[in-house]
Amino acid sequence: MGPFELRTLKGLDLSGCTDIMGYEALDFYDVDSLLTDEELMIRDAVRGWVDESVIPKIENACREGVFLDEWRQEIGSMGILGAPLKGYGCPGLSYTAYGVICRELERGDSGIRSFASVQGSLAMYPIWDFGSEDQKEKYLPRMATGELIGCFGLTEPDYGSNPGDMVTKATEDGDSFILNGAKMWITNGTIADLAIVWAKLDGVIRGFIVEKGDPGFSAPEMKGKHSLKASVTSELVFQDCRIPKDRILPGVKGLRGPFSCLNNARFGISWGAIGSAQACYDSARSYALSRIQFDHPIAAYQLVQNKLAWMLREITKGQLLAYHLGKKKDAGEWIPEHISLAKMNNVDIALEIARVSRDIHGANGILDEYPVMRHMANLESVKTYEGTHDIHNLILGRHITGIQAFTKGA
Amino acid sequence: MKVAVLIKQVPDTTAKVGIISGSVDEGAISKWSISPYDEYALESALSLQSGSGATVVAITLGPERSSKSLIDAAAVGADELLHVVHDGALGSLSLQKALSEAVTRVGAEVVLVGKQAADTNSGSTGPGVAKILNYSCVGLVSRIEAGSDGFEATRSTPSGIERVSVKLPCVFAFDKGDVELRRPNVRGIMMAKKKPIERITLADLGVDSTGEGVSTTSVDYPPEKPEGQRFEGPDSAAEVATKLREEANVI
Amino acid sequence: MSTTIIAEQQEEGIHSTLPQLVHAASVIGGECTVIIPGGGGESEASEIVGVDRVLKFNGSCFSVFDSQSWSSALKGSVGGTVLLASTPRGRELGASLAAELGMSVVQDVTSISEGINVERPVFSGKAIEKVTISSPAVITIRANSLDSAGNGGSAPISTIDSGEDLRMAVEEAITKASEKIDVSEADIIISGGRGLGDVSNFEKLEEVASTLGAAVGASRAVVDEWGLPHSMQVGQTGKTVTPSLYIAVGISGAIQHLAGMRSSSYIVAINKDPEAPIFTVADYGIVASWEDALPVLHDSIKALP
Ligand SMILES: Cc1cc2nc3c(=O)[nH]c(=O)nc-3n(C[C@H](O)[C@H](O)[C@H](O)COP(=O)(O)OP(=O)(O)OC[C@H]3O[C@@H](n4cnc5c(N)ncnc54)[C@H](O)[C@@H]3O)c2cc1C
Ligand SMILES: Cc1cc2nc3c(=O)[nH]c(=O)nc-3n(C[C@H](O)[C@H](O)[C@H](O)COP(=O)(O)OP(=O)(O)OC[C@H]3O[C@@H](n4cnc5c(N)ncnc54)[C@H](O)[C@@H]3O)c2cc1C
Repeated sequence: MGPFELRTLKGLDLSGCTDIMGYEALDFYDVDSLLTDEELMIRDAVRGWVDESVIPKIENACREGVFLDEWRQEIGSMGILGAPLKGYGCPGLSYTAYGVICRELERGDSGIRSFASVQGSLAMYPIWDFGSEDQKEKYLPRMATGELIGCFGLTEPDYGSNPGDMVTKATEDGDSFILNGAKMWITNGTIADLAIVWAKLDGVIRGFIVEKGDPGFSAPEMKGKHSLKASVTSELVFQDCRIPKDRILPGVKGLRGPFSCLNNARFGISWGAIGSAQACYDSARSYALSRIQFDHPIAAYQLVQNKLAWMLREITKGQLLAYHLGKKKDAGEWIPEHISLAKMNNVDIALEIARVSRDIHGANGILDEYPVMRHMANLESVKTYEGTHDIHNLILGRHITGIQAFTKGA
Repeated sequence: MKVAVLIKQVPDTTAKVGIISGSVDEGAISKWSISPYDEYALESALSLQSGSGATVVAITLGPERSSKSLIDAAAVGADELLHVVHDGALGSLSLQKALSEAVTRVGAEVVLVGKQAADTNSGSTGPGVAKILNYSCVGLVSRIEAGSDGFEATRSTPSGIERVSVKLPCVFAFDKGDVELRRPNVRGIMMAKKKPIERITLADLGVDSTGEGVSTTSVDYPPEKPEGQRFEGPDSAAEVATKLREEANVI
Repeated sequence: MSTTIIAEQQEEGIHSTLPQLVHAASVIGGECTVIIPGGGGESEASEIVGVDRVLKFNGSCFSVFDSQSWSSALKGSVGGTVLLASTPRGRELGASLAAELGMSVVQDVTSISEGINVERPVFSGKAIEKVTISSPAVITIRANSLDSAGNGGSAPISTIDSGEDLRMAVEEAITKASEKIDVSEADIIISGGRGLGDVSNFEKLEEVASTLGAAVGASRAVVDEWGLPHSMQVGQTGKTVTPSLYIAVGISGAIQHLAGMRSSSYIVAINKDPEAPIFTVADYGIVASWEDALPVLHDSIKALP
């Protein structure tokens, strides 16, 4: 260390204090050295964008409860939407690259990552996998650039963890379908140009593309969230909503449709949560080094070191989990349970790291000067959406025992 | 029109520079980047590319690792990449000769460089290359525009700024401009990976790197500063002013 | 060995660094020629002790700064080691001349001793490079790093007319009123805190800043309470800055503020409370009220040679 960094503060040893020269991504095991050059360049580009365009604006956006339209445009022009999809103007990257993108975005804010997850995995993916050729050509190229925004309507007011019992219905009427029902908690809903809506047609779950402006369709925004404040969450309301026949996704029937989408989004979340955790660790570390109590930086105390060491340990394990899952996904050697484990674990540790980081920050931790309380509140949603923590436990439990425990006494 | 951008890879300005036994510990440098002023040169070259269809050739001279800066340049749109591979010290004159030969080789009549590199802080390369090539040279440039028979450049002067017109061929050495640097997108990154890098040596360019009578004997940390000094009363401010000039040498 | 100094113009006179360059020439030894490319100041130059002769160049090319034509014009009269001030123009002309004469160039030197051994800061001051120069080279010297040679000489002055052509034309010159500099880019920053008492007193800081070419920064307390732009805020939640000089006026030095400016090369603090934590990081701490001390500091800075 050069002498300029070795200033001492009146009897207090500050030699460990590095200046806050921006975010230093924790990567204790050099896991990123396993990434390809291309993945590293994408990481740096997204990270640079988050530093310049998200971090300085996020607190204000949260205070006002808005997702900035410039984020849509800039994410679109970076060309990262629908990352792992090939053709139709989509990037065609590896799943690992998609994971890295989610991690970097979520280091900024889970709401930004949610925007990209929903657009790519929940709206573009079903069109790409289950859509007709016309549908793919019509929507995908403009969705990849962020020109068109999509949302995904599965959850209903009365059906969350058990979407199979959904009540939203489609009926045939000449050359149209008529939709009736409501969806709730729909990310991007109000700002979306199109919604992938899952509804029952003759008792079978099918996917439909509903466009903004279709008669009988509205998407009012849900207000009053304490979490994911920079992300738009909406209701989707269908009152005799009439759409042309060619808006049904021809390629899938049943729960497999929405669940395939969720697998991809959950995969992204398992990486994204690590981004939040890294941000909380970074803030805790630099705060602990500069906060002086009882004449020493609090980082000098064993109890605080224990907390930091625990964060380092959990983040490092989470990174390895995410990376290995990425490789499995790229190789096509994965089962949904692999993804459940990573989503559940990484969100869980990220949330706990956010809480411990908040603790290390003392009272300052509750201020929006520091990112930790925001990440903590965000992660509460992330823990719940895309399959709650316990639903993933049940998925693993079924895998281990062969016995499903979702319903009682089946 | 061919535009050459001379790019140097330097330790990122946020990276710690460690020194072991009289030289910079390169292995410990956590991040290498394109020197910041070079990025402005590159950005201007890319606007010439979109504005007047120029072909942008990015040229770097340095060890193997510096090819990364060419790939980064390609990711934002550089058309051709030339790496003069050379590891180790090189005198300013040999360096300028090599880069001049490289510019001649690619046939560029507009050369954009940063006003100085972030590691050596010298600022000799642009004017030196211009002299060797017998090109005109404008320094401290914040923007350039292609005119009918040459370029107009805005440069800073001791009293403000001025717009000068200059005929080609010319070297422009860039200061920070008030332009936003473009960031690479995925498409650019994927194309950059496929872009070939022409690799040549000093020998290929007919330049030898033998001594020039100037050699670095060592690199050290700056000397420790003395303890802080305390002064009482407003009149002591006069003494502080003198010390700022004579002791600290900062005003 | 002999030396040639290329003097720079500064507001119709000779640049204030010339006596320092002459001092450097005396360290190297041998005859010392001062070249004045265009402009005036030849009699000032001839009076500096250690100057052996002054060559004043006239010619249309000197009406505009053009390193390429200037170096062509001057090359025939330059001998030995060449010295210039490490100003933006000095460096550009120095590099051009070196290439013209087939010599190496060593820029931004802050110390020089016989040998010739020089030192120069690299990595924006994070390290110092020591360089040995064993054959004639071009050396540019950072202002105010060296002593100045005294006055009392009377070197002969001769004039040379150059027919060199300019390679560029000035279309428009804009004199800029000292523009506000951004704290994250400034080499000198003067920051104010709550101790200023009122936002209007920032004008006093602006005045000092314009003398020094400095940027004006602020503590968080005044950014929040007096509604100053956040871009001025220095500290943990503002800008992290590393200027060569940071002057803190009426700032207590809370840890969050220190986090953003601790690494400045030199720190001056003016605070009336001798216990203020800002003094623990100050290189020059002035215990006084700013109303009294700042004018003295400002006047003394203006009075520096
Ligand atoms: C910010 C936000 C954005 C969202 N975005 C979208 C979106 O874009 N599209 C979309 O379709 N949905 C979205 N959701 C909805 C989300 O997917 C659901 O909230 C989630 O599936 C859980 O459903 P629920 O809220 O109805 O909770 P419930 O299913 O009612 O669960 C409540 C609690 O009961 C537990 N539980 C439920 N069943 C069992 C069981 N069998 N055994 C043990 N415990 C059980 C759960 O683990 C949980 O703790 C979003 C939610 C949020 C908060
Ligand atoms: C999460 C968090 C983040 C923060 N981030 C920052 C940040 O980025 N930057 C920042 O600056 N602060 C930051 N702060 C605030 C910081 O803790 C201090 O409150 C703030 O720096 C105080 O500003 P000050 O020094 O101007 O005011 P004060 O602490 O009130 O100090 C005023 C000083 O002026 C002196 N004074 C009074 N009158 C005179 C006079 N006539 N002449 C000379 N001296 C006089 C007094 O002796 C006193 O030392 C942050 C705080 C928190 C909690």
